[in-house]
Amino acid sequence: MSQYKGTREAFARALIEMSETDNRLMFVSPDSLKAMRATEFAEKFPERYIEVGIAEQNALDVAAGLASSGLIPFVGTYGGFITMRACEQMRTFVAYTHMNVKMIAINGGLLGGEREGVTHQFFEDLGIVRSIPGITVITPADESQVYGAVKACVDIEGPVYIRCASGREPVVYDRNVPFEFGKIRILKEYGHDAAIFASGFIMDRAIAAAEKLNNEGIKVTLADVSTLKPIDVEGITKILEKCRAAVTVEDHSIIGGLGSALAETASENCPVHLARVGLKDVFPQSGKPNALLDYYGIGIIDIIDAVKKVVNKKQS
Amino acid sequence: MERNIENLKKTADQLRLDVVKMVHDAGDGHPGPAMSALDIITSLFFHELNVDAKNPKWEDRDRFILSKGHACPGLYAALARKGYFSVNEFAGLRTLGSILQGHPTMQKTPGIDMTSGSLGNGLPIGTGMAIAAKYNKKNYYTYVILGDGEIQEGIVWEAAMCAKRYRLDNLIAFIDHNGWQSGGSVEEVSGLLPIKEKWEAFGWYVQEIDGHDYHQILDAIDHAKKQKGKPSMIVARTIKGKGIDYMENDNSWHKRVPDDAQLARAIELLGGEA
Repeated sequence: MSQYKGTREAFARALIEMSETDNRLMFVSPDSLKAMRATEFAEKFPERYIEVGIAEQNALDVAAGLASSGLIPFVGTYGGFITMRACEQMRTFVAYTHMNVKMIAINGGLLGGEREGVTHQFFEDLGIVRSIPGITVITPADESQVYGAVKACVDIEGPVYIRCASGREPVVYDRNVPFEFGKIRILKEYGHDAAIFASGFIMDRAIAAAEKLNNEGIKVTLADVSTLKPIDVEGITKILEKCRAAVTVEDHSIIGGLGSALAETASENCPVHLARVGLKDVFPQSGKPNALLDYYGIGIIDIIDAVKKVVNKKQS
Repeated sequence: MERNIENLKKTADQLRLDVVKMVHDAGDGHPGPAMSALDIITSLFFHELNVDAKNPKWEDRDRFILSKGHACPGLYAALARKGYFSVNEFAGLRTLGSILQGHPTMQKTPGIDMTSGSLGNGLPIGTGMAIAAKYNKKNYYTYVILGDGEIQEGIVWEAAMCAKRYRLDNLIAFIDHNGWQSGGSVEEVSGLLPIKEKWEAFGWYVQEIDGHDYHQILDAIDHAKKQKGKPSMIVARTIKGKGIDYMENDNSWHKRVPDDAQLARAIELLGGEA
């Protein structure tokens, strides 16, 4: 079994393993080699480690140039620097040109940026990438799912964005559970009073909330939405039809990410009462990871309250 | 390769006429910037580039990026006259369903190696292509044409450092130094000058030439190819609107449509049939 601990390490391990047999794979680093835990990759494959310096726009464009020549570059760095600093390069020269560039975005959410503060906490990235045509967006729930997603993304033609964190992400999946692209996965099915759709590294909180609600007699179905785009309309609609009330949980702004994607899917396919748990259109601050999530309304109690709210609305 | 300068000049006259007619017929486009880059484009496509119009995706071909993508009528003319597609496509410029988009688009137009038009991005992408050539042990060259105004974009200098770090002697770039940008003269808008010293300070092999003199253009490419371990920048002094008397050095032709009389005048100047 592969050895790694944390989503960045999972990325590096998967990349190194694939690179042993696939010489098209490159790593483009805007001085992010250490942050991406990819030093071993650079030692093993020095010709495939492309260092462009602290220059994210350049990184995306250089990657486009490599990809246009048949290579498969991975650009790894902080998600906000990919999606905001280099947004236009990502949009025009990676997505519009349909280049086979894989973007590995660390420091996703408050958990990822935590004590660094707002400059390093990225909670708009999913809204940005989701609005650009042709980018596949993956939000794995823990390290083993990141490992599987990185391996899977090479088989997805065109640009892919995979959201990672920075070491504070809890393990929720057994290592033997494979990452499955394009499908939601039901993690708990206590009943159909409400559905919880969660994505990313707050999955432990969604699981805990579902368990506590079950103990209180409120029976929910919990699904992991690990592919945000293209979203699993069929899988989500089936659950909505049974539950008729839903809560989304994410470490991202409630605007643009899973909350928005679910609202769009529900309103076009099966309108239900919906509540969105996430960062509520404010700038956060520095803090310890769990305390931050609790302070900004992404706590277990917040998920429970949101579920009770939509269940009440459904019944009234 | 033997130089046939007279033929290159004749071809350039044809391409200039194509540009005027294309923009006239489409009622939209950037003729002035196309004219200043046109003799460099002609030198590349009709003398220098190792390409095959019948096999545009040939993996050993030289790569070309028109980073100042708004000059694309000149590139479209060159590609058509080279045989990548029919000159009948000119009529569709910037209209629905055409293979000729407002700016170069690789998925739509045969012979376009990279989408461009958003200034600053050609050099970093060309840097990636040149790195790929070295990694893949291919001996093709990557050519990029930038505008002088364009190098105000910070990403150009990110690429300048990167190409030097990777010692990309297979990357040859031109600056179409016509002295103008959309808003006025490049020096007045941005304090851009001097250009040559900036690139030298970034570790490039820099040559300054007359961008309308075919011997100088081709000599500069030959010199660039002899350099080892350094990317090359050829600063080409040019005239915006070159070859069309009423356009030359008149920045109103940055984006403007010639009327019927102006088209007739271009035919008169360049000879031949539009």
